Amino acid sequence: MHRLRFRTKITLGMTFMLVFCGLGVGLILSAMSSSALLEEGRKRGMALTSGLAFRLAEPILAMDFLQMKNLIDNVNNQYDDIIYIFLTDTSANILSHTFSGGFPTDLLHVNGEGEKPQPVLLATERGLVYDFNVRVSLGKKNLGSVRLGLSRKDIDAQIRRQRLTSLFSTFGVVGLGIILALWFSRTVTFRLNRLRKSVEEIVQGNLDVQAGFSLEKYCWEIMECDRKECPAYGDVQRRCWYLAGTMCPNCCDKEYPFKMENCRQCPVFKHNFGDELQDLAEAFDAMAVTVKNHIEELTEREKTIARQQGLLKTILSVTPDFITLQDKNLTYTFAGKAFCDYFNLDEESIVGKTDADIFTEQQAEINTRENKEILATGLPMAKEITFKRAKEQKWFHVVKVPVYDQDGSIMGLLLTGRDISMLKKFQEQLIQSQKMEDLGRLAGGVAHEINTPLGIILGYTQLMMDDIEDEEILEGMRIIEKQTKVCRKIVADLLGFSRNSQAISETVDINESIQQVIKLVEHAFFMNRIKIIHALDEGIPPLTGDQERLKQVWLNLLNNAADVIGQDGEIHVQSKLNADEGRLIVSIADTGKGIAAEHLGKIFDPFFTTKQVGKGTGLGLSVSFGIIKDHGGKIFAVSPPPEEYLPKDFSKRENFGPGAVFVVELPLADGRKNEDSKDRKGEEEKAEEVSLFS
Amino acid sequence: MLITALFFVSCRESEEPVNISLDQRHEITFRPQLPAITYAYLPQYSHTESFQRHNRLVEYLSEQTGLPMRQVFPDTFDNYISMFGQGKIDISFSNPFIYVKLANRYGARAMARIVEADGRAEFRGQIIARKDNQEIQSIEDCRGKSWVAVDPSSAGGYLFPLGHFVDHGFTLTDFREVVFAGGRQENVILGVYAGLHDIGSIREGSLSVVKDKIDINQIKVVDSSIWYPGWVYAHSPRLSQEVVDKIRDAMLKLDYEHNPEHRQILDAAKFIGFVPSDDRDFDQVRALSKKVGLDLE
Repeated sequence: MHRLRFRTKITLGMTFMLVFCGLGVGLILSAMSSSALLEEGRKRGMALTSGLAFRLAEPILAMDFLQMKNLIDNVNNQYDDIIYIFLTDTSANILSHTFSGGFPTDLLHVNGEGEKPQPVLLATERGLVYDFNVRVSLGKKNLGSVRLGLSRKDIDAQIRRQRLTSLFSTFGVVGLGIILALWFSRTVTFRLNRLRKSVEEIVQGNLDVQAGFSLEKYCWEIMECDRKECPAYGDVQRRCWYLAGTMCPNCCDKEYPFKMENCRQCPVFKHNFGDELQDLAEAFDAMAVTVKNHIEELTEREKTIARQQGLLKTILSVTPDFITLQDKNLTYTFAGKAFCDYFNLDEESIVGKTDADIFTEQQAEINTRENKEILATGLPMAKEITFKRAKEQKWFHVVKVPVYDQDGSIMGLLLTGRDISMLKKFQEQLIQSQKMEDLGRLAGGVAHEINTPLGIILGYTQLMMDDIEDEEILEGMRIIEKQTKVCRKIVADLLGFSRNSQAISETVDINESIQQVIKLVEHAFFMNRIKIIHALDEGIPPLTGDQERLKQVWLNLLNNAADVIGQDGEIHVQSKLNADEGRLIVSIADTGKGIAAEHLGKIFDPFFTTKQVGKGTGLGLSVSFGIIKDHGGKIFAVSPPPEEYLPKDFSKRENFGPGAVFVVELPLADGRKNEDSKDRKGEEEKAEEVSLFS
Repeated sequence: MLITALFFVSCRESEEPVNISLDQRHEITFRPQLPAITYAYLPQYSHTESFQRHNRLVEYLSEQTGLPMRQVFPDTFDNYISMFGQGKIDISFSNPFIYVKLANRYGARAMARIVEADGRAEFRGQIIARKDNQEIQSIEDCRGKSWVAVDPSSAGGYLFPLGHFVDHGFTLTDFREVVFAGGRQENVILGVYAGLHDIGSIREGSLSVVKDKIDINQIKVVDSSIWYPGWVYAHSPRLSQEVVDKIRDAMLKLDYEHNPEHRQILDAAKFIGFVPSDDRDFDQVRALSKKVGLDLE
């Protein structure tokens, strides 16, 4: 039974009820009408007999047998269902009868005088017969009695017809009732099914449902309202009494169901209120819309949270800092990507673990001891630690802070670790630079002291060479002269390197200074088939600086270029004005063997050289760097040179190396002002480059 | 409901028929009635009325005399007379003319006369007309009119008024028509009341019989005849004097005033008592019959 559909149940229930009621009512009515028909038949027989008895009084008194016979024959012939009539006097003499061929004397033994009630039912050869006995009397005087036999065939036939009619009527009514029950159950279950489908839709996640039916008239039509700001205006899915903040004058400022008391008096409610099912469907719709709104809000919040989570995750993933979170039991609840990557672990394999599971026993013991102390004292801790790996040594600045929950009790421990290996390196470089500066100052002092003896040695050597004729000795003297000159150059370079505050401030035409230097070396380079190709920007304004020292820079750079080329090559010299950024750029690109990437960071260090011993002092680029720095500019090298530092028609030949370019940027004299207001990007770039080459 | 229905259905069939045969026939014969003194009332009204008037009196007389007595119901006056002649009537209660006729023909002997409700043992006829018939104000106005009478042999209903008319110089031809109403006083009154006839002749006292049927105020009495001896009880000459005396005594014993039972009997018979009578009381009638040319032989 419980498996049947609700609609079938209603239909079956109503059908059973109808059949039972119909059968019951049909049987009762049938029985009643049968009884009534029989009663009617009996009354009719009684009436006929009584009428006859009344009319027979006179003939009996007169003993008028003819009239008696006529009367009973008349009645007998008048109705087909009268089987017999006979008349007896008070002595039971048969005065007259309608039988022919003798009298059935059985009749005299039944339904005698005074038998009640009348009639008596007789079963005869001609079927059931009602026998009526009515006294013929005048006043109290009994004159005789009339007996009338009325066949029940007609009555029974009538009863059968009536029963058949009752049966068909009952079936008709029951059938009609079943059709109505079907219609009714369909109407009821249609709405229930709609509600059920809505529920299914909601279960499947579709909250955009409508279980209720559309209305003939909506509240704004009934109230002739045009307040579009009202939440009920235009809402065809929810009834206004389910909505808070409706703006009708009768609406109190309450929410459903507290506003219902007012709403029951409202014409809108009276017009649109339905039965319980409609009420349920509408309440369901209202619920669905409310839930939908809530879910949308939640979804929106979820998105926001997810976005924030994503951001946080991105930050935590991208940040090079180590971030971990441990609970009170020092179990990892979170580990940042940098941490995971460094220790080559997944976050999943860290979360839920302790230090003992991740680190060596010794390390874990140290960590645990520190952590427990922090959890116990609540005091944060900061320290620098180092990890030695096969390739490199890493330094980290580690901060551990306790994490408090809302109650103010410590719920865990946050660790952040920052890779400070670079900082350490810079610190080392700074120390080195400091040492180099001290060394330069020392070398300058020494060079000054050595310069005088060297001059004397050179002077005397040259004097002696004039007097010595022995070729062998002379050759030896020449070597001394040459080496002394080398020494003097080293000393001069040392002096130049260490001399910081001897800059002359004058107006310098950069292009002219470059051309002077080119002219100086052009011939010598040409001998080694090195070609200098220059493209100088004529629009470069003069700047303030030390021309000689700048020329020393150009000379250094050109000599370096020629040195790396050796033979057969090109040197491209360019000068460009970058008025927007307020500076000029001088680049000297060569087609030499190029600079190894690992050397790029060191080429401006003093005494760094890749040249053969005796060929270079390792001070040229350091000196140049210093000069450019003094001019407020910067110098850097790129290998191989980007296209922008080469002429447009540059074609690389077979014997050319990858090449390198040295770029010098100098601030313009009138651009210095603007330099302060330049975007920070420039500053950062400079800082980066300085830090790279310092 | 179903149980109720089934109960109803089951109850209906509770009639149990009695088995009889209509085909087993026997010839039957009428058992003759026991001999009894027959009492007849000259048909004035329907048999039923006659029966209801006299049944109690017959029963009383039977009871008082110890003789079996039965009322018989002749249909007409002729039938009455012939039955008397045939000996089928032993005690006759008739009007004086019929009595004279019976006396003359069959030797009937008067034994008692009745006292009417007005206290008289005599009666007379009345000539009636519709009250709104302005043409008939007196007996003289009856000339040329349609006359409805009870029966040619009716005393109060025909002969007395006829004698009265004769006394006033009328003959039967002076009427437009003379119609008889089959011996029923009621028919005469109803005929006049309906306007079928201008005048009617009835026995005095008959109007009250129909007061329940019509509005008798619409009827007026134009004139009345002289008084004649009233209705009379006569006996067949075949009855012994002893029986006659018993019956007469029983009749005379009836006390309307003091005996409630007797009063009931007499009330039913529409009179209040008896006086002794003999044949001489009816000579006046015989004279009338001669006057009107009535053959009472």
